[in-house]
Amino acid sequence: MKTTTLSTTMLRAAGLMGLFVVVSVGLLVAVNSFTQPKIAEVERQVMLNTLNQVMPTRYYNNNLIEDMTWVTAPDALGTTQPMPIYRARLDGEPAGLVIETIAPDGYSGNIHLLMGVFADGRIAGVRVLSHRETPGLGDKIELRKDNWILSFNGRQLTKDNAHTWAVKRDRGDFEQFTGATITPRAVINAVKHTLDYVNLQGVRLYE
Amino acid sequence: MHNIYTSSPFAHNNSSVQKVMLQVQLAALPALVVHLLLFGYGIVIQWFLAVATALLVEYVMLKLRGRPLLPNMTDFSALITVTGLVFCIPPESPWWVVVLGSAFALIFGKHLYGGLGYNPFNPAMLGYAFLLLSFPAQMTQWTLPTELTGLHRPFWDTFQVIFFGLSTEPEIYTGATPLSLMRSGLHEGVSAVNVMMSPILGSGWFGLNAWAWVNIAFFIGGLYLLLTRTIRWQYPVGFLGALIITAWFFHTLNPDVYAPVSFHLLAGGTMLAAFFIITDPVSSSTTPYGRLIYAAGIGLLVYVIRNWGTFPDGIAFAILLMNIAVPLIDRYTQPRVVGHSR
Amino acid sequence: MSSLWQQKWQDYQDIAQKGLWNNNQALVALLGLCPLLAVTNNTVNGLGLGLATMAVLLTSNILVSLIRDHVPSEIRIPVFIAIIACAVTVIDMLMHAYFYTLHGILGIFIPLIVTNCAILARAEAFASKNPVDKSIVDALFIGIGFTLVLIVLGALRELIGNGTLFDQAWLLFGDVAQNWTIHLPDSYNPVMLAILPPGAFIALGLLIALKNLVDQKVKKTTLTAIPVEVKPTS
Repeated sequence: MKTTTLSTTMLRAAGLMGLFVVVSVGLLVAVNSFTQPKIAEVERQVMLNTLNQVMPTRYYNNNLIEDMTWVTAPDALGTTQPMPIYRARLDGEPAGLVIETIAPDGYSGNIHLLMGVFADGRIAGVRVLSHRETPGLGDKIELRKDNWILSFNGRQLTKDNAHTWAVKRDRGDFEQFTGATITPRAVINAVKHTLDYVNLQGVRLYE
Repeated sequence: MHNIYTSSPFAHNNSSVQKVMLQVQLAALPALVVHLLLFGYGIVIQWFLAVATALLVEYVMLKLRGRPLLPNMTDFSALITVTGLVFCIPPESPWWVVVLGSAFALIFGKHLYGGLGYNPFNPAMLGYAFLLLSFPAQMTQWTLPTELTGLHRPFWDTFQVIFFGLSTEPEIYTGATPLSLMRSGLHEGVSAVNVMMSPILGSGWFGLNAWAWVNIAFFIGGLYLLLTRTIRWQYPVGFLGALIITAWFFHTLNPDVYAPVSFHLLAGGTMLAAFFIITDPVSSSTTPYGRLIYAAGIGLLVYVIRNWGTFPDGIAFAILLMNIAVPLIDRYTQPRVVGHSR
Repeated sequence: MSSLWQQKWQDYQDIAQKGLWNNNQALVALLGLCPLLAVTNNTVNGLGLGLATMAVLLTSNILVSLIRDHVPSEIRIPVFIAIIACAVTVIDMLMHAYFYTLHGILGIFIPLIVTNCAILARAEAFASKNPVDKSIVDALFIGIGFTLVLIVLGALRELIGNGTLFDQAWLLFGDVAQNWTIHLPDSYNPVMLAILPPGAFIALGLLIALKNLVDQKVKKTTLTAIPVEVKPTS
């Protein structure tokens, strides 16, 4: 008799657990089904906002996120991995590019950058996506901490001004940070190499 | 009648502690003189600032904790703490740097743990780590030696720089320390030998830079402490030994990427740590064998942090890390009592 | 009838005082310290995590209290865990959808609410033994107590370590909060240690010390005021 009671209790418990699991999973599926599209939309919006920081909306009218391709250029982009490149067009004509690039020689590891370049070779903007530089020294490359990263805006790279792409200590145009010279050097070099690559490739990147 | 509980060694007027502390101060004198000659008057102003802070903090904290002022304030331990700290900070850093650092060292490093004797960490190094993490920009810019810049700043000017931040040409006056230069040089692919020959590192009296001379002065003071038996030999021997062996090993492995032994011995806070900081009996191991392990551990960690860490000098972090390891070291190095097995 | 309500009111007050002060999950129980220490480098982050934790606590307390008579005790723990995990996942998804950037900053600590012992502890110690109304009050005040500590800790650390207050408030409150940030004057040099991990431990230690100090003072005054009979500590 006792075994029956035990098995009934066990069965009842198992059934109840099962019921809970089913209800929980059902709830999760329901919530997921209506948050999923919202998340995708916000994700897209956030990405577009990031891209627009380095490529203002008034300069293009195509779908920037969709008009994307991958490029592999280890010397210029600091990585052997293919990097995304977004093409901005105004009425179908090339307006500018947004490129992800990496400064591989930061003080502590890679510095991921996003940079926008107008079709005429001027820089539209540069932002740091992620980095591990020392807090208080190298992290002035973030726009939240310092305006330094804005000093790239509008710059071009030509044969004549290549030497000005350096910090002031190296007789260039850019401010350095007290206590951290490696970080700004790394960022400047990465932007310079990427810009050089973009200039060399020219319209090919829009195809 | 209140019972007064005291613990050994039942010395009534703290005279032995005072004597030791004064001897340590005396031994730091050569370094102070060299520092003064090479980096200007900054260190004197910083020292007075630190001592004033220490007196104030000790007074307030002892009052708050309800402890008697007299034996606690005259044991000179706070003086040693802030003196150690003063030698670590850039001589012309703003006044609040040394004030905050001294206050943090004494409040968080000593009093909150229950006062002298109960602190697991070396207070001076805790204060320095606090400053380095909190104000990295101020802490990594060192006043350049006067004979390098050719500018002997008068006392009054130094005073103004420290208190009001008035400086005419900061770019000329300050720069990176040899350790920072080595780090950034190696990072950018310059070989260690070439970094050693750069103007800041390679020039000075007899071809030794100012930082090296301060280290030599500390070494001389340290020898005095050793001879008078104020400090135990295990500390400097263990620390310098470990540092020399690791530095030699890596330098032999690849002289381009790893600086020579002499560089590590005469840069940063090496000698200050070896004879004045890690010898603090409160926060270090209490067994003879343990002291050797403790000191060697610091030497090894200093090398590791200098080469692969985020900050140029790893003295403070190395000491704090080994401070935490002290209970473990003590546990496994208890001398065997005669007639007992372990 | 009125005395019954009075009794209830008394109970609620009791629960509230325990949740906010006497049994504060962060300062007394020392539960949920990992997220507490990790995200409080900023007031808004602290508030965000606090609200998320409170929402989970509320859901789990209500559900556990509702089913408390229908679940055999052998399987109550797995059931509680299922409820908490489910609530955390739902809140994670909702925050992902509606507070996208904040969700990104709080990152792993939202899903990790599931491991916050405070929530399972309240389910087991309170909600499974009390009616729904009391469980709601308990969840609210435990949650508020925890959130307040997060806010104070975040504000303290942000003010000292960054020289600002309510920085990035728009992450939680939307575009109206764009200008809510309060900046200390430029001459203030932020003590960066405060927003680094050691600062979290030091600040929390100081808060706990402050609470103990207040308790001690209160105890002293009540002790001198009325001769209290010695109660056995339970």
